[in-house]
Amino acid sequence: MLRRFVSNAADSLREKDAPFNAFVSFENSLNFTNNGKGPLNEYSIGVKDNICTFGLPTTCASAMLQDFESPFDATVVKLLKKAGAQISGKTNCDEFGMGSLNIHSLHGPVLNPFRVDSRRAAGGSSGGSSAAVAAGLCDAALGTDTGGSIRLPASYCGVVGLKPSYGLVSRYGVVSYADSLDTVGVLAQDVERVEKVFECINKRDCNDPTSVDERLREKANFLATKSIQRWSGESLKGLRIGIPQEYFPAELTSSSNHILASIRHLLFHLHSLGASIVPVSLPSTAYALSAYYVIASAEGSSCLSRYDGIRYGLRVPPSPESNFTSTSRTYSLSRSQGFGREVKKRILLGTYALSADAFDNYFLQAQRVRKMVRDDFDHVFSIPNVLYSKFSFKEKNANDHGVDGVDILIHPSAIRTAPRLDDVLDVSCDRDTLQDYVQDVLTVPASLSGLPAMSVPMQPDTGLNQARDNQQSDENWPIGVSIVGQWGTDKLVLKVGRVIERLSRR
Amino acid sequence: MSRWLVDGWQVVIGIETHVQIKSSQKLFSRALTSALNHPPNTRCNAFDAAFPGTLPRLNRKCLDLALRAALALDCSVNQCSSFDRKHYFYSDQPAGYQITQHYSPFAVNGRFTSPNIGFPIRIKQIQLEQDTAKSITNTRTRTALIDLNRAGTGLLEIVTEPDFRTPEQAAEYVRSLQELLRALGVSDGNMEAGSLRCDVNISINRPGEPPGTRCEVKNINSVKFMVAAIEYEIRRQQSILETPGSTQRVSQETRRFDPDSWRTIKMRSKEDAPDYRYMPDPNLGVLVLSEKHVEAVRRAMPPLPASTRLRLLRTYSSSGVTENNIDVLMNLDVVRDITYDGATDSVIGAVAYFELCAEGRDPKSVMNWIIHNFLGQLSALGKPFSSKYITVAQMGQLLDLIITKQMTRPSAKLLLKQMLVSPSDLAVKQLAENMDLLSTVDEHSKRSSIDDDSLRDVCMRSIDALPAEVAAIRAGKEKVINIVIGWIMRQTKGKADVDRAKDILKELLHQ
Repeated sequence: MLRRFVSNAADSLREKDAPFNAFVSFENSLNFTNNGKGPLNEYSIGVKDNICTFGLPTTCASAMLQDFESPFDATVVKLLKKAGAQISGKTNCDEFGMGSLNIHSLHGPVLNPFRVDSRRAAGGSSGGSSAAVAAGLCDAALGTDTGGSIRLPASYCGVVGLKPSYGLVSRYGVVSYADSLDTVGVLAQDVERVEKVFECINKRDCNDPTSVDERLREKANFLATKSIQRWSGESLKGLRIGIPQEYFPAELTSSSNHILASIRHLLFHLHSLGASIVPVSLPSTAYALSAYYVIASAEGSSCLSRYDGIRYGLRVPPSPESNFTSTSRTYSLSRSQGFGREVKKRILLGTYALSADAFDNYFLQAQRVRKMVRDDFDHVFSIPNVLYSKFSFKEKNANDHGVDGVDILIHPSAIRTAPRLDDVLDVSCDRDTLQDYVQDVLTVPASLSGLPAMSVPMQPDTGLNQARDNQQSDENWPIGVSIVGQWGTDKLVLKVGRVIERLSRR
Repeated sequence: MSRWLVDGWQVVIGIETHVQIKSSQKLFSRALTSALNHPPNTRCNAFDAAFPGTLPRLNRKCLDLALRAALALDCSVNQCSSFDRKHYFYSDQPAGYQITQHYSPFAVNGRFTSPNIGFPIRIKQIQLEQDTAKSITNTRTRTALIDLNRAGTGLLEIVTEPDFRTPEQAAEYVRSLQELLRALGVSDGNMEAGSLRCDVNISINRPGEPPGTRCEVKNINSVKFMVAAIEYEIRRQQSILETPGSTQRVSQETRRFDPDSWRTIKMRSKEDAPDYRYMPDPNLGVLVLSEKHVEAVRRAMPPLPASTRLRLLRTYSSSGVTENNIDVLMNLDVVRDITYDGATDSVIGAVAYFELCAEGRDPKSVMNWIIHNFLGQLSALGKPFSSKYITVAQMGQLLDLIITKQMTRPSAKLLLKQMLVSPSDLAVKQLAENMDLLSTVDEHSKRSSIDDDSLRDVCMRSIDALPAEVAAIRAGKEKVINIVIGWIMRQTKGKADVDRAKDILKELLHQ
């Protein structure tokens, strides 16, 4: 009886998901270990397919891991189960998290549930998680964000997506794309649910060497709490919001005026509630995208070198006439077939960036830029970066009355709304694939700096541009606003997110 | 330096040694380290097999053992160092990269001194890295099997500057390094088992000229092979450079030593050298070693062999203990089993055993007893030295019975043998009593118990029992008397006083 009910639940989810292709596998058994008292009791949660689950396949949307089942649960999955959550299944994504439209997937593209018949992309790489949440297929979903992979699909699908500070959420059991950037985060329809799930997975894990210790977590949290105390209540007086001028590139100002209008509208509201709107400059932003692609590809080429078809995963056996002169030639058979186009492209780029001739000019240069980007952020925030500064609480207190620096930054999450799938799936040479990368321009700086960033849906500003008929449908599509905070001040980002959410729903 | 020239050529040698760290767990995974006799793939976990989602976690025990080596080699320990990934595709490298310390090793600029080399050898750097898996190739079936037991075990790579001038110096270095690392508990340094392997760089040049092009001979697993490889390389390079009228030069290449043909064989030239695409490991970050921690490791270091030897000489030579005696004990300690993770020995080494036994007793006689009787009987039984057969306390009791003349030396030997063959928890005196080996001390004379009458009785019986020996003695072969004495001792279970028995025997024979 129970079994029937359970398999019905899986079947029904499968059926509901059919138009979106958000899920790639479904949990058939109930989690009996939950004692009914956990904070996530009654929560159904989708888990991105690059996060290891024991008992469900973990394919990373790659032919390479098509039949792979992990022998263990990722720490985040364990924590969710412990909190009483029900894992409903694994969600679609771009292969190994590489992509921003969720079109590079073994399981096919994800359709944006906002209006499924208009066949638009859900964004990526956590497109399945985002769509599953948007379509109401689960209460929340785990995603991973390496350069915007949670925030971008959240923006396209009209949901809330949090990329926490790097080092807060365990990466143990998360399939690496780029170890220094990969961050596990949460997507849900509202900030409250995001926060609830985040609280359950925001735990130090000794299995993850990059998991930050309690002392630094507490230190940053203390600073965030102090900042919130200054402006809590209905009035936002005391909250200083920075608007980084570099985050309004030509792509945004020319073609997508409605995004600009919406964010102006939002800032107007925030200002009227008492918040100070402060224009700031993050001058290294222009270089961030290039640095990001060098670092992410270099680490990707390294992290993905373990897929050789020897111990697990796809293996293409050599034929008698194969070239056996070196081991790597045997490997190339499996790797050529197992990896998709986008992954191969990044592996090749990353391999080049790490080669002896290119290392200094590419990889080291990118690391220098990364530091500059981080310094930019540290420069504009009033809250110090507890990871890098020899900060003491006394110094902070002395600065309390000063007005230098902002509490958080706000900028549009993306330079456009969800594109049509038919446009982006066109693999003819005409399509400018560079556009896909430019889209990341707004999201990668926070990734490079490991900062908490959350995309929250904005209320579209319908008062403008009514005349442009051909763009009209675009204007109704969801757009997100990103809130970026200093390292470890995720609580502050969530708090500001709630304010914006309230304003947008009015 | 001219005394080291070979046919007018100066030889320049540098050595990289890879040493397996004797830790119970691997360098970045919690899997147990393995010995050669463990069945394949029984000592590895998901991380060692490079499963997706696994992450490294540094084993601090490996780090502390590495620090011992660095301190003993007089290196400066870098407060901050880091780990890098060295990429290459090979079946013994599950992740497609090895985690090593390419850009910033944890220890640099050390020196190694040995009285047999005569000048200090500079240590360029010491780095921590992962060992590879093992692949077993079957050429007949054209298949290869992979054993992950060794994959990820902690290795120390100790790199010297090219300071050696002769193969003998190189051999001396490797042997002393082996001994040093064993004494520190860092590694068991077993070359046959592969826990110590060498890469040797060799070049030759005319004195006064810049160094020649070097060739590297990789993965040598015995000192004998290393000496042979160096000698072969010197001759090979010499013959290239001495070819008359030729402008041929030695080309930079990687070679291996073939123990069957006793030659080095080319593996690849410099042009084919792989690009390892070194990248800082983004998971492991910066390794910080505080001065405080380094000092704590230094304080907990076991003493180095040279200083132990010196101390023993200073303490005991005045009591008549010889250098030779000390070396016997120290050599025993060199081959003893190394404990895991540098733990303080629960098993007591030969040196410590001697020192504990000598406490409050005459060191010279304790030394003689241990070396001549204890070690002798052990080797007769084919057993290596160990304190577990007879504890320090038991040995002390045994020695005290001899010293207080409650037992004769021959009786004590008999008892010792019995204790080795069938160990017992009983007190030694009790054992001796059970075996009826104790001398019943005559309180007045303090002489051994067997009185003259009974001894005379036994002696007379010996003359009847051993007519041939007695005849020989009478014919002047006096040494044969020892055989007869031996018979008497057996009869009396060693209770007879040897000198007295001899006197009585002589008296009887000359009657």
